[in-house]
Amino acid sequence: MIEKGKISALQMGLLMYHAILATGILFIPATVFNVAKQDIWISPILASPLGFLSVYIAYKLNKYYPKDTIMQYSKHILGTFWGKMLGLLLLLLLITSLSVMFWQYGEYVVSEFLPHTPKSVIIGMMVILCAFAVHGGLEVLGRLAGMVFPVFFLLFLVIIILVLPDVEVKRMLPVMENGLMPSLKGAWVLCTWFAQFGIIYFFLPFLTDREKGLKFGMLSVLVVTLTLVVTNIIVIWLFGNVTENFNAPFMSASRYISLAEFLSHLESIVMAIWIAGTFIKLCVFYYVVVIGTAEWLNLSDYRSLVLPMGFLIGVFAMQVFLNSAEAAEHFRIVSHEIMDTLVYGLLIPIFLLIVAYIRKTIFKHKVRRTN
Amino acid sequence: MFFRKKIKFNKNINKKQQDDKQIPKPLFSNLEKNLDILRELYKECSDVVFRSFLIAGHTKAQLIYIKGLSNVEEMDNNVLTPLMKKSEKRTVNPKTLIEQTLSVAEVVKISSFEACIEQLSVGNPILLLEGDEQGFALGLAKWERRAIEEPTGELVVRGPREGFTEALEVNTSLLRRKIRSPQLKLKTLKLGRYTQTAIALAYIEDLADETLIEEINQRLKRIDIDGILESGYIEELIQDNPYTPFPQVLISERPDTAVSSLLEGRVVIIVDGTPFVMIAPTTFFSLFQSGEDYYHHFLISTATRWLRYLFCFISLLLPSLYVAVITYHQEMVPTTLLLTMVDSREVVPFPALVEALLMEITFEGLREAGLRLPKQVGAAVSIVGALVIGQAAVDAGLVSDHMVMVVAITGIASFTIPRYNLAIPIRLLRFPIMLLAGTFGLVGVMIGLLAIMTHLSTLRSFGVPYLSPVAPMKGRDMKDALMRAPLWKLNTRPHLTGEYNKHRQGSNQKPHSDKGGE
Repeated sequence: MIEKGKISALQMGLLMYHAILATGILFIPATVFNVAKQDIWISPILASPLGFLSVYIAYKLNKYYPKDTIMQYSKHILGTFWGKMLGLLLLLLLITSLSVMFWQYGEYVVSEFLPHTPKSVIIGMMVILCAFAVHGGLEVLGRLAGMVFPVFFLLFLVIIILVLPDVEVKRMLPVMENGLMPSLKGAWVLCTWFAQFGIIYFFLPFLTDREKGLKFGMLSVLVVTLTLVVTNIIVIWLFGNVTENFNAPFMSASRYISLAEFLSHLESIVMAIWIAGTFIKLCVFYYVVVIGTAEWLNLSDYRSLVLPMGFLIGVFAMQVFLNSAEAAEHFRIVSHEIMDTLVYGLLIPIFLLIVAYIRKTIFKHKVRRTN
Repeated sequence: MFFRKKIKFNKNINKKQQDDKQIPKPLFSNLEKNLDILRELYKECSDVVFRSFLIAGHTKAQLIYIKGLSNVEEMDNNVLTPLMKKSEKRTVNPKTLIEQTLSVAEVVKISSFEACIEQLSVGNPILLLEGDEQGFALGLAKWERRAIEEPTGELVVRGPREGFTEALEVNTSLLRRKIRSPQLKLKTLKLGRYTQTAIALAYIEDLADETLIEEINQRLKRIDIDGILESGYIEELIQDNPYTPFPQVLISERPDTAVSSLLEGRVVIIVDGTPFVMIAPTTFFSLFQSGEDYYHHFLISTATRWLRYLFCFISLLLPSLYVAVITYHQEMVPTTLLLTMVDSREVVPFPALVEALLMEITFEGLREAGLRLPKQVGAAVSIVGALVIGQAAVDAGLVSDHMVMVVAITGIASFTIPRYNLAIPIRLLRFPIMLLAGTFGLVGVMIGLLAIMTHLSTLRSFGVPYLSPVAPMKGRDMKDALMRAPLWKLNTRPHLTGEYNKHRQGSNQKPHSDKGGE
């Protein structure tokens, strides 16, 4: 196998938690608010089945081919040529996706934090850091996720507790003013994030306790859903109808914290810890891209690909959008019309599963008949 | 081309080494021939004494020893006196005479020149007889050694006051005195082409993983260098990652620390000639543990550990946080404090980063100077360093008051880490993080911290993940890392590698007041 390290199912769950939530916690409330208004907290609940489905499908595929990642079993299922083509499509989607994530990180840090620093420096630094971690292998990523998660989650709780004095529950009323439709539309937007759970198919073969893979995958979806529901409730309680004016409402919420005179303006600390979470997210996708490429090219080791791939992604991330208007247009299309994550997270695995199922069952019957 | 030449050159050196070692193997029965060879080997060694005498007045014999390494008094009384007593019976066999009349506890028969050299070099006198291919090594080694003292590098308030010394036998005896069970095993090997330093591998059978012992043994056997003067030589040659500044073995001077590690299934490597023993494998969090933690109440020890973690963070990050906040995030400082900060920084012409680097480097310089200073001038320099430079720098407008305070706290913070070899890399890594903080603010600090965390996650010490039990998480072991659970809760040994002997005590050790007494 190309990856020699192994991680526990819990570590995989934590990796996935960060992979979804690190950016989600920032951008989800405002994006969903555009369509769901004060019902944004219902949307994650409605969208979560998609997450469960992605995990389940990845798990099912893994049951058919326990030691392979999607790159290898797509070949088994579709034959070498079509399998490779599908793998190429998957890689292209993942690489663009990752580049956009790096861009998002750079854009956010520069706009909120270091307005005079060139974005290329911020992105470049992160690419190097991620390359360092990815070079360490999956085990290192798992350990990092295990260390970052408690801090990240604690911060989440602390922010919630500290903003509680400013919330007003009546801002979320009336619940379902226009029926279920707005929150359903919000859920559709959220599919972008929940479909990303599909990339779990890159981690399932490397678990020490494979039987727990499904359990912790599902648990991860559940915790992400709960975190999003709580985030959205807090945001709507705090900002009400002005939520859409913020790019990242939850982060802006930390500006409202003011306790005992000196505990105020915590947004820099919040940002620093958010960077840790984003780092895990970027590492997860970076790792997926690197190991996917290595398997697609039939390499024996993926580590030699880390730096070239990092360079590619760094350049992509710096060139991906001309300006934030173009980026906004991109995100509008991606979150409302053509969802790339839905393709690689759900549609491709479903397609593979169906073909695999047909092949396995029909082939088996044929064999039995000839016997 | 250049490399090839170099390799050839090295090969030649190795060949020469082997040529030098051509010593005839077994002893001859001719005493004169043996003596000629030994005299040739030890020519121009004025400390080697050859003393010839007659056993019982008829058999020629030779006593060879090294001055200062052997107990001359005992040789006179217990070897020469009984053997030289003239006997009437001419038929007495000198060999049986030696066995019967020599009042020396340890007599080893030797039959090769190599063994002769080995025994001589540790201080055991050698007795060679005419007409015999066997010699005798007498266990009469005695050389000047330091008494057992309190280790100065690892002070405790409560706990044993004895420390390891330079002599290997003393050190192993200290271990043996604490672990009486014969399951304490000691493997000895000799390393170093010229120094032939004795190295003992101590472990407890059934507790230490056998593959671990084998691995350490293999790594030790690979070592082929001129000499080993301190355990640091070996540490550098056997660690998993040779480039990391973080220590991958635990260094201790205290037998109680070594014994507690042995009881956890670790291996202790003792090197002759140094009081510092190495304990492997070790993890990041065990470097924060002091032996004393287990002698005090668990609540106090837990609080102390948390304090150490906190101060470790302060030691690593405080100057960087100060620089980042003062340069990029002034809004985080409460207004009144900010005013005094601005006030004191007004006269300082440098950016905070330069100011911090200036002071930190000065402090590190003072610290290093303090270590090397002769004792007589130490007091004077520390007064100059602490009072005059600090105050004068502020008065001269080079640094601000707050920066002096930050540097002082940082300086003290690093000394709360009980292991000096962990405190050094943390002090060292402070500087790159300061640079990051000065250029990118808190983002830079976080990036630096993540880089360090990533690096630590990649490390292993003899196969054990360096950050365990926190990453990868091992819930059971965490209660001795994140806190110090009460002894009656620490029922299991930490899991290092492979199969292990899990339970270290009975499961119901918690004291019950109703069952005891009366």
